[in-house]
Amino acid sequence: MAMTEPTTPQPGIKRFIKIDWNVGALKAASPRYWSWVGMLVIMTTLGVLAWVVVLTTGGNAMAQRDNFTWGMWFADYMFYVGLAAGGLVVYASVHLFGAEQFRPLSRLAVLMAGLLTMIALLGDLTDLVRVWRIFWFVVTPNISAIFVYTGSAAGFYMVLCFVDLWILVTGVGGEKLAFRMTLIALPVAIYLHTTTAFVLALNKSRELWNSAVMVPIFLTSAVASGVALLLICAYVLQHYHVLEFKKSMFRSLATLLATVIITDLFLLVVEIATVYWPTAAKAGHTLRFSEFMTGPYAVQFLPVLILGVIAFSLLAGRKTRHIPAIQITASALYVLAIFFKRYTLMSMGFAIGPLGQTQAPYIPSLVEALIAIGLLSMGMLFFTLAVKILPLRVPEEEHAEAGAWELAEATGEPVVEPGVAL
Amino acid sequence: MSQDFPRDERPEGATAPEGTTFSRRHFLTSVGIAAGVVAAGVVPAALMAQSANAQDATATSSEPPVAPGASADPLAEIIAADGPANYPGHPVHYAKPAGKEKWAMVIDVRACVGCRKCVYACVEENNIGRNSGFTYIQVLEMEPGKIDLESAVLDYDEAGRPDKWYFPVQCMHCAHPPCVYGCPVQATWKEPDGIVLIDYNKCIGCRNCMITCPYGARHFNWVRPEVPAAEINPKVPLGEKAWTAEKCTFCVQRTRNGQTTACVEACPTGARKFGDLNDPNSDVAILLKTRRVWRLKEEYSTEPMIWYVG
Repeated sequence: MAMTEPTTPQPGIKRFIKIDWNVGALKAASPRYWSWVGMLVIMTTLGVLAWVVVLTTGGNAMAQRDNFTWGMWFADYMFYVGLAAGGLVVYASVHLFGAEQFRPLSRLAVLMAGLLTMIALLGDLTDLVRVWRIFWFVVTPNISAIFVYTGSAAGFYMVLCFVDLWILVTGVGGEKLAFRMTLIALPVAIYLHTTTAFVLALNKSRELWNSAVMVPIFLTSAVASGVALLLICAYVLQHYHVLEFKKSMFRSLATLLATVIITDLFLLVVEIATVYWPTAAKAGHTLRFSEFMTGPYAVQFLPVLILGVIAFSLLAGRKTRHIPAIQITASALYVLAIFFKRYTLMSMGFAIGPLGQTQAPYIPSLVEALIAIGLLSMGMLFFTLAVKILPLRVPEEEHAEAGAWELAEATGEPVVEPGVAL
Repeated sequence: MSQDFPRDERPEGATAPEGTTFSRRHFLTSVGIAAGVVAAGVVPAALMAQSANAQDATATSSEPPVAPGASADPLAEIIAADGPANYPGHPVHYAKPAGKEKWAMVIDVRACVGCRKCVYACVEENNIGRNSGFTYIQVLEMEPGKIDLESAVLDYDEAGRPDKWYFPVQCMHCAHPPCVYGCPVQATWKEPDGIVLIDYNKCIGCRNCMITCPYGARHFNWVRPEVPAAEINPKVPLGEKAWTAEKCTFCVQRTRNGQTTACVEACPTGARKFGDLNDPNSDVAILLKTRRVWRLKEEYSTEPMIWYVG
C-alpha cells in the first residue's frame, strides 16, 4: 500500500479519489484497536448528546455567564488551532528550507493540522445555541469584526490542510506542487494565528488581552505545542510500527522544540515585566495580573511557567536531549503547559470584569466538559482510523533515508494520542 | 411559553404607540430573499457601504450641522462623529427615527443616592427576564476620592450611605461603539439618532459584543427570559431575546414617541436627564454647555453619549 503509483493492487486496498485506502488493515486490526475505537466512539457520542442538551435547554447548561463570557470552547479553540500550527511549520521547513530530516513526518503533520483545526472549528459551533444562525456570518459579515477573519481563516486552513494531504498522499503535482502548497499554507497558518491572537488583543475593554505581544506569543506557543504533539505522535506511531523515524530526526525536532519553548517563555516574561515595572505598571493591569500570580487564578497560570521551565531544562542539555524518555516527557509537559496557558489567557479577560468586579475562577460544567472531551475524542477517532487506512508513510523514492519499507500497519495495534490535555 | 407570543401576532394597532412599526420580520424576509437571489452582490455591497461609511464618517455625515460654527465646537464634533458610521442601512424600526435627534443622557452623581429605582423601572419597562440574572443599569457603590472601579461594590445592600458615592453605568450608546465594530454578523448597529440597537432575530449569540464593550453594558440571555404575564410590556420584545445579547436601548419604544426613558422617569432625585443634543434648549444640551462634565473611560475614545456631572 501507500505507494503513489501502485502497480499491482493488493488485497484490502480500495482506490478512491486517487488514494489507496487500506480498508483491509481495519479488518485485520486487533481487538485492542477496536476497543480503543469503541471507547472513542462512546466518548464522541456522549459529546454529541451533551451538545443536544445545550441546543434544547439553552446556554445555561454551560457554566459560562455574563461575567465569564467565554469558557472552555474558546480555550480549546486557541489550543487546537495552536497545535495545528506546529505540524505545518515542520512540514513547511521540509519544502522551504530543505529540512529533509523532517520529510517522513510531512503527511502525519498535515493530517494532524487538518484534524485539529476541524475540532477547533466544531468547538466554536457547539458554543452557539442557535447554531443555524451562523449563515449570517456568510451573508452579512462585518469587516471590522476580527471573528470574521479568524473564523474564515480557520475554515480555509482546514480545507487547505486536507487538500495538501491529498496532494502529498497521491503525489499529484509532485514536489513542485507540494512546494507551492507550502507557499500558501505557511502564510495562511501565520495569518490564522495572528487573527486568533487579535480576537484577544484587539479589545481595549480587556486590559490583559490588549497587548501587542499577544500575536508573537500565540505564534511561539502554537509552534512549540504543535511540534511537541507531533513528536509525541511520531513516537507513538513508531511504537506501533505505523511509521519509522531516525533518531536524528527526533533530535532535530527536540532541538527545534527547545528553541521555540525558550522563545515562548521569553515573550511571557517580557509581558509580565511590562505589567509590573513601576514606570509602566497601570493599576488595573497590575491588579488583574496579580490575580494570576498570587490570587485564585494562580493555579492556572503558575503551571505555565513551572512546566515550561522544566520542559526547557529537560531539553536544554545536549547530552540528554536525544533520550526518547526525556523528549517525550518534555513534550508532554509543554503541551500541558500550553493548555494551561490557553485556559489562563481565556480567564485573563474575565478575572476582573470591565466594571472592576472580581470573578471567581470559571470551571466548565459537566455538559461543557463532555462536549470538549467528545470533540477531542472525535479528532482522535479520525486520527486512529486515518493512520490505519491512509498511506501516511513517505515512500522511499521521495525520501532516500526513509528506511526499510514494511507493511507494519498490519500488526493492528491501537494508536493512541497521548499528551493532549483536557 | 405563554408570555412570549410572537411579534406578528401582537395586536399592533391596539398596543403599539403611534408611529411604531414592527418591521423586523419584513426586513429579515427581504434580506433573506435578497441573499438568496443576489448573494454574490449583497456581501460586497454591504462591505463597501460599511467601509465607505467608516471612512467618510465625519466628512460626509448626513446629519445637518448642529449650530453655526460647528467645526469649532467640540460638542458638535462629537455629535458629527456619532453619525451613520456604523449604520448598515437596514434598521429595525421600533419607531421611525424622528429626524434630527441625537439622544444623550447626563447623570448627576452628586444627586444619585443609589436607590436603584432606575434599575427596577428599567427591568419592568424593557421586559428583562426576571430569571435572566442581569439588569441593563448597574449601580456601583464607589469609594470617595477616586473613580476606582476595581474597589467599587455592585451588590451593595444599603443605599444612600454618606461615606460613599453612587455611580450608575449602562450602555453608553457610544459614538464609536466597540460592540458594533465587534459583531461578526452586523446584528447590532447605530441608528441615525445615536441609539445602538440589536436585532434579536439575527444575533448568533457569540457574545463578542460583551467582550468588546468596556462598560459591561451587554448581557446575554443564558435562559429563556420569563416575565409574569401581567407585567409584560407589549412594546418590547421578549421571547426573541432568548440566547441573544441585550442591553439598554435608551427606551427606544418610549423616546421615539415623545416620552423620556423609564430610568429618568423613575429617578426620585432628578439625577438623570435625557434629551436631544441637537435641541439647544434640551436639558442635556444646556447641562453640557454650562456644567463641568466627564465620561467613563474617556481615554478609550469610544465617545460615550452618557455624561456624568459631579
